[in-house]
Amino acid sequence: MTELTFPAVLRRGLPRARYIALAVRLAAAAAIAIYALTTPGFLTLLSANALFTAISFVGCVAVGMTFITLTGNIMSLAIGATVSASALIFLACLSLGILPAILVALLFGVVITGAQGFLVGHLRANPILVSVAALSLLLGGAAFVTGGHHIYPSGAGLEIFKDRFAGIPIDAWCFFTTVAVGQFILSWTRIGRLMTMVGSNVRAATAAGVSTTATVTAAYVIAGACASISGILLAARYGSGDMEIGVGYDYTAIAAVLVGGTGIAGGSGSTLRTLVGVIVISVIEVVLLLRGFSEQLQYLITGLLVLCVIMLHTLGERR
Amino acid sequence: MTFGNAVQRLFAPSARPFTIVVGTIIVLGLFDRGTGYFFSIGTVFSVMQLFATLGLVALGLGLSMLIREFDLSVSGMVGLAGCIAVLTGASNPWLGAALGVAAGLLGGLIQGLIMTRLNLSSVGVTLGGLLTMQGLTYVLTDNQTISYPKIAVPLGLNAPLAGLFSLRSVVALAVFAIAALAMRYTRLGRDVIATGSDRRASRIAGLNTDRVVISVFAASGGSSALAGVLLSYSLGAASPVALSDVLAPAAAAAIVGGVSVIGGRGSPMGIAAGVLTLCILSSGLSAIGVAPYVHDLVTGAILLVIAILDAPDLAQRITTWQFDRAERQRNALKGASS
Amino acid sequence: MPVLAIDGVTKRFGPNAVLKDVSLALDAHEVRAVCGENGAGKSTLVKVITGLYAPDEGAVCVDGTPVVITSPQHAQELGIALVAQELSLAPALSVLDNIWLGNRKVPLLHRRQELRARARAALDKLGLNDLALDTPASALSIGRRQLVEIARMLTRDARVFILDEPTATLSDVEIERIFAALRALKAEGKSVIYITHRLGEVFEICDSVSVLRNGDLVGTRRTNEIDRGTLMQMMLGRSLGEMYPAWESSPGDPMLMVKDLHVPPLVRGFDLTAERGTVTCLAGQVGSGAITVLRALAGLTPGASGEASISGKPMRLRTVARAQAADVKFISEDRAGEGIFLRLTVGQNLIATKLKDHTAFGLLARRGLRATAASLAAAVGVDRKRLHSPADELSGGNQQKLAFGRWIGGDRPGVLLMNEPTRGVDVGARAEIYRLIRQFCDRGYCVVMASSDIEEVLGMADVVVSMYRGRQVARYRRGETDMQRILADITHPAAA
Repeated sequence: MTELTFPAVLRRGLPRARYIALAVRLAAAAAIAIYALTTPGFLTLLSANALFTAISFVGCVAVGMTFITLTGNIMSLAIGATVSASALIFLACLSLGILPAILVALLFGVVITGAQGFLVGHLRANPILVSVAALSLLLGGAAFVTGGHHIYPSGAGLEIFKDRFAGIPIDAWCFFTTVAVGQFILSWTRIGRLMTMVGSNVRAATAAGVSTTATVTAAYVIAGACASISGILLAARYGSGDMEIGVGYDYTAIAAVLVGGTGIAGGSGSTLRTLVGVIVISVIEVVLLLRGFSEQLQYLITGLLVLCVIMLHTLGERR
Repeated sequence: MTFGNAVQRLFAPSARPFTIVVGTIIVLGLFDRGTGYFFSIGTVFSVMQLFATLGLVALGLGLSMLIREFDLSVSGMVGLAGCIAVLTGASNPWLGAALGVAAGLLGGLIQGLIMTRLNLSSVGVTLGGLLTMQGLTYVLTDNQTISYPKIAVPLGLNAPLAGLFSLRSVVALAVFAIAALAMRYTRLGRDVIATGSDRRASRIAGLNTDRVVISVFAASGGSSALAGVLLSYSLGAASPVALSDVLAPAAAAAIVGGVSVIGGRGSPMGIAAGVLTLCILSSGLSAIGVAPYVHDLVTGAILLVIAILDAPDLAQRITTWQFDRAERQRNALKGASS
Repeated sequence: MPVLAIDGVTKRFGPNAVLKDVSLALDAHEVRAVCGENGAGKSTLVKVITGLYAPDEGAVCVDGTPVVITSPQHAQELGIALVAQELSLAPALSVLDNIWLGNRKVPLLHRRQELRARARAALDKLGLNDLALDTPASALSIGRRQLVEIARMLTRDARVFILDEPTATLSDVEIERIFAALRALKAEGKSVIYITHRLGEVFEICDSVSVLRNGDLVGTRRTNEIDRGTLMQMMLGRSLGEMYPAWESSPGDPMLMVKDLHVPPLVRGFDLTAERGTVTCLAGQVGSGAITVLRALAGLTPGASGEASISGKPMRLRTVARAQAADVKFISEDRAGEGIFLRLTVGQNLIATKLKDHTAFGLLARRGLRATAASLAAAVGVDRKRLHSPADELSGGNQQKLAFGRWIGGDRPGVLLMNEPTRGVDVGARAEIYRLIRQFCDRGYCVVMASSDIEEVLGMADVVVSMYRGRQVARYRRGETDMQRILADITHPAAA
């Protein structure tokens, strides 16, 4: 009897809103594509490689941030500083050899960010506050260790990052691998599903017997690893580093996550969407640049874009 | 007993921020060991100069935390209002200041409207707001540092008044006084506390909580904007590079000042005390010759401790642990006796 | 002319109409009771009158003029004051500030002295002479909070006062004070709408009573023209047999044993034995502890202590993981907040607890999960085509079926705990849910459910345990009791 009434639900307002949201998104994507393709020089001047290299660094961070957003914890404001600190540690450890240096840097990102995740998951501490605390500690700690100086590579081996594989730069390979692994975790592993459940409704997940501690910590661990990858790539590219190297990456990353369509409320999202978000933002930046708009305007448009996307999300959701 | 009572009273939630300020002064004084670098008029003056910027931002952020929201856009507001003031106030500094603060009020108002009308989380909306404001600042300044032509304005703002204050810090103190009076003696203050304490209950009781949220975000925007205007005028320049590092100390100051992340607790005077604590730490530590990174570490540690203490599940986790331990002990006793 | 009239109001949520063409008229000097079972539409009616819901059809008339009440603030301006079912005190504010919270007549800048005097007078009327105005609301007991809410209502210069089950948490003395205050209001010429399901109160202070059933207005009568039996007949209407499955009650071996359960602050020293293959109902109102007991057994209460065992094996309390390891399954009373994942799909909801069975080395067997989801959907009677729709598009009843479907399957039958399993569920889906519950029993589960719906308790239970203020009042086998007896137990037990 109740089954018969279901189509009535379908015809009511809410799915229509969802179609509108989808339509708006498609229209926006089409508009960007047309605008990009009709921009003189977009296809010739800029090879895909240059674009991909440019987005790899923040892209990795954004993939990691997707996991934090997905589990309902919005963002970590300490990610940018984690990127910088990982870069410094990588450079400082290069004397041990390239592989140990990578491992130490990854371990650092995992521990620092995982610890935040433990506090957030186990005690439900406020994620923003915890990340602001971590940010302060990272900045203070880094200044203590480096004295505010630039760090230069303590060993050799950075050249391998400047290589290409199958014609595509290593940076881009790292980014695409991160996206693929991230998506694999979300779609094919249990922990990925648990993250979706926790992000969708913490209390329901607890009542269903999900360990929020393990799930949220895992999400932050992934985010920390991604931040470290980005730090390593940045350090290798610039050949030196300081705490400024990752400044602002947290905000750009969350912008990419949201533009890609991962909801800020948690419980839905994918790294493929984040990939789209990263590409959309960078295409807009490139196009604006080519059309002679200033760098300043890019910032403004990115900001407005994020604001609009956040508002657009409510169109598809019931209130 | 009387000693215990006194300690308890000093650390009661309403008194704690003030106890901490005094404690900080005493501890730094001890470290100073009578060299007089810490207890100097110069230190007090620099503390108050810091207070003028950090205080107003912390007030805005703290108000938003009082209603269980979080205004990430405060740092964007500081930069934007500073630029607007410097750009429009070239002939008349009052006009620039008014426009800067108006921009802050408007920005907060718009964000509040978006949140309440669309039922969105404050972090998401103010994140978008922050990025937009930063972009707007870049566009307005054309990505350049803009200097303010009226040299008299920075001089006047920073000139010592009675040795300890400047016009700038007096303005900040006045704003705090107004906020404290409004929170204490008008209906608005109690509406804000009620909204933060239990928003659903307040709505059932007949309070228009949406209006409270919008007002608080407008106030937060206005207060941060005023901080930006004062900062830019006193530096004689505005730069698009946003003060993103103002967020951490402002959050720390609000929390040390007794604002609870769980909402519904805190007052402007408490926030003022929290800001003072951080400013005293900052200038005091440098006055007695400690490296600046210690300040970051101390701020971070304070934030971390409070984030843990205020975590909603902390009590539950401890209770579970205690009961489990008691049960294990009982079972061990039973096993031993049988 | 009636002070307040409700004229042909219909309110729908999705496919379900929760109020159907309801009309009431309330005069000055009148205390009107509104009665009905759970889910009859009482609270929806209140929300329409106070501007929280807009009616789909019909209108609310004040003094004969139809008005569109847009918000609770607007209702207040029209002279309607409400004591809501949920507590509405801000814990951080003092009693004084709570009394004036949300009052439209308090100006931005005001003289506190006058407010103090008026709040004091209102509190004194309710016998709270000893309560200091500056006490924070968080320091008050539940009963006192309820009285402060009523004091707040008294300070609103209203003409129509609405009280939504105000006495659930109060003692007799406190209830008598509220009645005195209501009689005083009536004498002043005010009107009162009094929502309750305690029949005694209807006859004690109300002039007339309107009965709602499944969203329909059954009728309005003068209280001096009817008796309790008639009123109960009006509330229930149909016979019990149509809704509930028929079965042979046969006691099994004891499966769930609880000894000396403590859940501060409400439950102290509670014992319970429930048998395999039977339904044990904990009958009790809000604040009776029935829900609290089951939450504690499900591992959701960190402060719970006591001994519990499942089929003779001891079970430790306080975490969900321990409860689940002992095959204890739980269906929450708060469906949207805790029961299901509204933003996830139907399929994801059904397999929420099945992931472990389809995981090898951390990787999911997605095909197996899809098959499981499809078979569970069939088992609970949710259309397979809807597996990929978000759960919040389903009706309340179908959402509840998802919560059940999650626990179907598994190697061995366990204990199924559920709180208010049919809260917010329409009548059609109720019957299906009752059938599902019996199916669990037939598979050898031990089912324990907490419910405040006496009809449901009588229709489903093999064993009824009536509860009042955290204690067991009595224990009955099927057929040993009736509605009046349980109602008396859970409202005013002789022994308490």
